[in-house]
Amino acid sequence: MRPLDGIRVLDFTWVVAGPVTTRCLADLGADVIKVERKDALDFGDRRGGLSGTLMRGKRSIMLNLNDPRGLDVARRLAVRSDVVVDNFSARVMTNLGLDYETLRQLRPDVICVRMTGFGLTGPARDHVSYGPTLQASTGYTLLIAERGGPPAGFGYSYSDLVGGNLGALAVLAALCHRRRTGRGQLVDFAQLEAVASMIGPTLLARAADRGTSQATGNASQEAPGAPHGVYPCAGDDRWLAITIFTDAEWARFRDAVGEPWVRGPRFATHARRLKHAPELDGRVAGWTGSRDAEDTMRLLQDAGVAAGVVADAARLCHDPQLLARGHFVDVPTPEGTTVRLDGPAFLLSDTPARVSGPGPLLGEHTDEILTTLLDMPAADVAALRAAGVVG
Amino acid sequence: MTPGALAGVRVVDLADQTGALAGKLLAGLGADVVLVEPPGGSPLRAIPPYWQGAPDPERSLFFWFYAAGKRSAVIDVERPDGAARLDALAAQADVVIETGAPPSRFDALRVANPRLVVVSITPFGQAGPYRDWRASDTVAEAMGGMLYVNGHADGPPLRALGLQAYHQAGIFAAVGTVAALLARETTGRGQHVDVSLQASVAGALEHVPGFYHQIGLVARRQGTLHWTRYFRVGRCKDGWVMHCTLGDWTSLVEWVKADGMAADLGDPAWEDIRQRQLGGGRLFDVLDAWAARYTVEELVENAQLRRIPYAAVRAPEALLRDPHLAARGFFVPIEHPDLGIALPYPGAPFRPGAAPWHVARPPRLGEHTDEVLG
Repeated sequence: MRPLDGIRVLDFTWVVAGPVTTRCLADLGADVIKVERKDALDFGDRRGGLSGTLMRGKRSIMLNLNDPRGLDVARRLAVRSDVVVDNFSARVMTNLGLDYETLRQLRPDVICVRMTGFGLTGPARDHVSYGPTLQASTGYTLLIAERGGPPAGFGYSYSDLVGGNLGALAVLAALCHRRRTGRGQLVDFAQLEAVASMIGPTLLARAADRGTSQATGNASQEAPGAPHGVYPCAGDDRWLAITIFTDAEWARFRDAVGEPWVRGPRFATHARRLKHAPELDGRVAGWTGSRDAEDTMRLLQDAGVAAGVVADAARLCHDPQLLARGHFVDVPTPEGTTVRLDGPAFLLSDTPARVSGPGPLLGEHTDEILTTLLDMPAADVAALRAAGVVG
Repeated sequence: MTPGALAGVRVVDLADQTGALAGKLLAGLGADVVLVEPPGGSPLRAIPPYWQGAPDPERSLFFWFYAAGKRSAVIDVERPDGAARLDALAAQADVVIETGAPPSRFDALRVANPRLVVVSITPFGQAGPYRDWRASDTVAEAMGGMLYVNGHADGPPLRALGLQAYHQAGIFAAVGTVAALLARETTGRGQHVDVSLQASVAGALEHVPGFYHQIGLVARRQGTLHWTRYFRVGRCKDGWVMHCTLGDWTSLVEWVKADGMAADLGDPAWEDIRQRQLGGGRLFDVLDAWAARYTVEELVENAQLRRIPYAAVRAPEALLRDPHLAARGFFVPIEHPDLGIALPYPGAPFRPGAAPWHVARPPRLGEHTDEVLG
């Protein structure tokens, strides 16, 4: 069994953040029905790749929500669903009549999670956003940068992932609440707030010191430590992250490196290493620069020092630890091919999450959903299809 | 106060900074989270910055953020009576969160309490060739595939702002915990939740593994140009702005045209978003020249009026003065009576309507030892 067996999710989400929420629910066993438009976007392959990883294990129904008959189908599906999730701007679901106040008249214990950019209230509630714009307005873009350097930011929409996974937590918590009280609820999920909450220590520090944040490159943001950084290795664009916080870690590092500079008094104590951190970084980079990244990682890890290669996509997807953990899974498709997808990131011992299937084709499950879930006669389905209401 | 979604759930939190967010999220959802600290205090209390600068275990802002809403009980697990106390606490708990090196104590703990959910947050997970290896947040971000794509093409890979390997692990740990609590309603039994920092980073990537598995693409760093090529940072009169060529393209072009700066943006070919993706760099060069006429505030305000998703590139502290967040009450003032201060704590990551998010003052060391241990 899986934790969400028997739970149905009606999924109006698109792009990335919302689909990340519902894929987590699908991995946990929920029946996720993805409502899609005729011109739904994808990244080239719906079964696998990025789209497949976002849509894994969901069923797809193609519905024209601009047609009253399409909206009627959507409402009837909502009645049969425990959870309704969307990530449109605030006004869209209200304008469609698919908002919480309307849906709970039809199903009193429904859980609605409205994943908007800015939330359902407040002066900016109708503003539009995407992951990169939210990362810009919350500080990530400016402060993921070299010391004194121009903004660089994340290489992707991290905020969509952080928001998506927190969205799954919101749904699970609301299901717990419903088990205890019998009541559904509306969750007002503002991506802005989800993303902002992930830099909590920085926000609290600025509230306390009223200071100005500065980019600090790859310096530590937890306990002060040196060396702490990302150091070049032999080869094209190869790097090794090394972290040393304590004198004990330094002693192990010193013995593993074994060169004269590392034994001297200049770096012998934590305080001295912090004081001379730029010089130490240069020394470490000089040592790693001609060395193989993987070999050096093993040398240091065998000595008990936190060190890890900066994995590119190829190394990540062949990483022995991730493979041993079953992080990537080969999923068969109805066409007889196999796609390799990300699996669940966390492992449950007794009721494990797993990938329920590949990404669905657009409208792949329209007929089965309408005929089995809504008991719609095949002739009616055909009529809706001929009218362009479903596809 | 209205009970939270997890009212009645008792959590024993043994986590260091690598797993501190998990308990914080569960506390926010209404669980009773008891932070078990050694006599010298949680390691988070030794992490700066400190209120007014000087190191003091009761003044670590880092600790304050993660411990807000938890209770504190001091148990010296190095002593036999302390270990017994901890076991007794775990025997009556619903959840234990641990961050010690593998193997987990799950098997031992479940003997006395088969309903217990044990969450282990470790660098690489409980099994596999790297299970005994060490990681910091930055090492986990490196090995999890995030760092390689953060940064400028001619610069080094850059770690995230905030401890995002720890935070993703904390989110996955909380998701796994609540899923295990739901499963327990059916099975009557707890289970083990195995969270890896590396896998948490890898499980929160976007294009990196997807396009590698799809077409063998190895994504590279490319500065602020998003991999979709619909976003890039540009410069206004007084600061940086995030351009966006999604949203209402027609409105954007009309606006730039009205300023006489449109160059070839009016070419109908650009109306196709796939063309805008291919031509990303060229479009942003035109938009950069145009944006230099405006202040950041003028540009972003006018863009949003036209439903064009522009944003200011701001520092985190701008959020403390953000009128939208103020209107929503995102920051919650928390009093520290010992210090005679109140600070605005970042509040709920999301707002459950029927079971509000809980934020409360972080505990003093051992503040709740007596009431917890009885």
